Amino acid sequence: MTNNPTNPENEKLVNEDYLWDASGAPDPEIQRLESLLVNFRHADRPLVLPAELPVAPGKFRALLIPMLSLPRLAAAAAILLAAGLGLFFFLRPHSTPEAGPAWDVASLQGAPQIGTKAVAANQPAAKLHVGQTIVTNNDSRASLSQEDLGEIRIDPNSRVRLVQTDANRKRIQLDVGTIHAAIWAPPGTFVVDTPSAVAIDLGCSYTLHVSPDGSGELHTTYGWVGFHLHGRDSFIPAGAMCSTRPQHGPGIPYFEDATPAFREAVAQFDSSAENSADRAAALAKILSEARVRDALSLWHLLFRVNGAERSQVYARFAVLVPPPNGVTRPGILNLDQSMLDLWWNSLGLGEISTWRFWQQSAYPQPPPNTQPLLQKKQPPAK
Amino acid sequence: MAALSELGTPRSGPPAVNAVHETGGPDDALVRAAQRGDRPAFGLLYARYSRMVHGILLARVPFSDVDDLVQDVFLQALPRLNTLRDVSRFPGWLASIARNRATDFHRRTKPTDEFDEESASVQTGTLTPTANHVSHASAEAHAVLDAIRSLPDTYREPLILRLVEGMTGPEIAARTGLTHGSVRVTLHRGMQQLREILGRRTSPPTGGAL
Repeated sequence: MTNNPTNPENEKLVNEDYLWDASGAPDPEIQRLESLLVNFRHADRPLVLPAELPVAPGKFRALLIPMLSLPRLAAAAAILLAAGLGLFFFLRPHSTPEAGPAWDVASLQGAPQIGTKAVAANQPAAKLHVGQTIVTNNDSRASLSQEDLGEIRIDPNSRVRLVQTDANRKRIQLDVGTIHAAIWAPPGTFVVDTPSAVAIDLGCSYTLHVSPDGSGELHTTYGWVGFHLHGRDSFIPAGAMCSTRPQHGPGIPYFEDATPAFREAVAQFDSSAENSADRAAALAKILSEARVRDALSLWHLLFRVNGAERSQVYARFAVLVPPPNGVTRPGILNLDQSMLDLWWNSLGLGEISTWRFWQQSAYPQPPPNTQPLLQKKQPPAK
Repeated sequence: MAALSELGTPRSGPPAVNAVHETGGPDDALVRAAQRGDRPAFGLLYARYSRMVHGILLARVPFSDVDDLVQDVFLQALPRLNTLRDVSRFPGWLASIARNRATDFHRRTKPTDEFDEESASVQTGTLTPTANHVSHASAEAHAVLDAIRSLPDTYREPLILRLVEGMTGPEIAARTGLTHGSVRVTLHRGMQQLREILGRRTSPPTGGAL
């Protein structure tokens, strides 16, 4: 439909077009409403399904109906109803709605809520089952623990859902708020989904915060953590932190004792548009301010820049941490993974093979950015 | 539930099932494949319809509960999928499950169970300046959402699908099983009523639309 926007009557039609299919001249009022309401939008959370699909009643109905006449069906239904009612009344005082694997829950302060139930202080048997969500308000804190995993402390105003707990993987979802994780499970076992990145424990303690707008921050206090979204990875060793933003994923990690100018430049780099002057200025500042210890950030920068910028990063990185044997400039500029891994390992921040193992277990086929869009995750290879 | 697996949410691309061999509507092949136990097909149905289910629920239940209920709706739908004889009715059938789940939610939940962490922070004055800024925008967003929810059922669902979930009118029609004309009219009238409500709330003394 074509319309002349100068005609008031047509302007109305143009706006209706925008309301209908977002075509035509944008309606500022509708755009404003869309912008205001975007945080309520569906967050594309993965669907968690039982490993075995339930029995499909439709397949059996065709077999059953010819076998049973109507009176027989009525009698069978009556017997089933009576049995069901008896079973219900027999089990009612003892049964609980929850079942399956669960983590222990303790109230550290106030009365955190699991669904509609409050967890009282010193309540001995509170459990968080797979699929359930625990919510803390302004006055409550909680602790989640599992003997094979470790402990996760939940700060006030947080919302955490238990997604998966089995021998190979423990997974929670932090929608908003702050958790402090102390994990003794093998690296790669504990995973936290957030609106803007996935945090993978690589043997550590860390604090993870998610803001209401979906952005987040991760501070590692021991060991290291992998931050991942759509093929974009960041590794955060002890003493370092990393921000993440919706749609963009994890930014450049940096040590918290870096100079204020360095930290500001990293933040500016992460938030600036590609090829913008701000980004170029931020990159120049990062390179000039970088200490040997900040090679952590430079290593990540290699993946986030192109062409001439990557040459600049390489040059500064090579001055701070000379490339080990087997690492060449052309290889790094071409993002040769084995060379990048060798250089990472020379930083003394943890063996990257741990991460590669996790990647292999989570994304067994092609690399994450090229894998089929729908792929069932597999347990780690034995 | 002895073991769990996870289905991702593809953002684009063709179906991963043999849709070309099937006939009927665009998602009929997926529904048939899901009925045969094809998990990726069900995952694709989730990817395609989860926004619709989210919008239907958001029109009726507190935002903080919507994500969990979306999962519940699909977990309820899965074992019942074989009861659906006419696969072309899948969109309307799924929408009905979502509406029933919302009704069931209100039946089981006490009004005092609703928890809003942000309003709690505002009331206690514990927000930082940045958080206050975010909170102001968020409060306005909640007010707009409340205004949409105050509209008659007929209007609030399409408006939420359009303004919150970002679906276009044709997408809404395809996903809900309604006709284009019906969706177009309800969007138009719903938007008119929403403008009136928001205008009444904010017009004196500035007279602005929002």
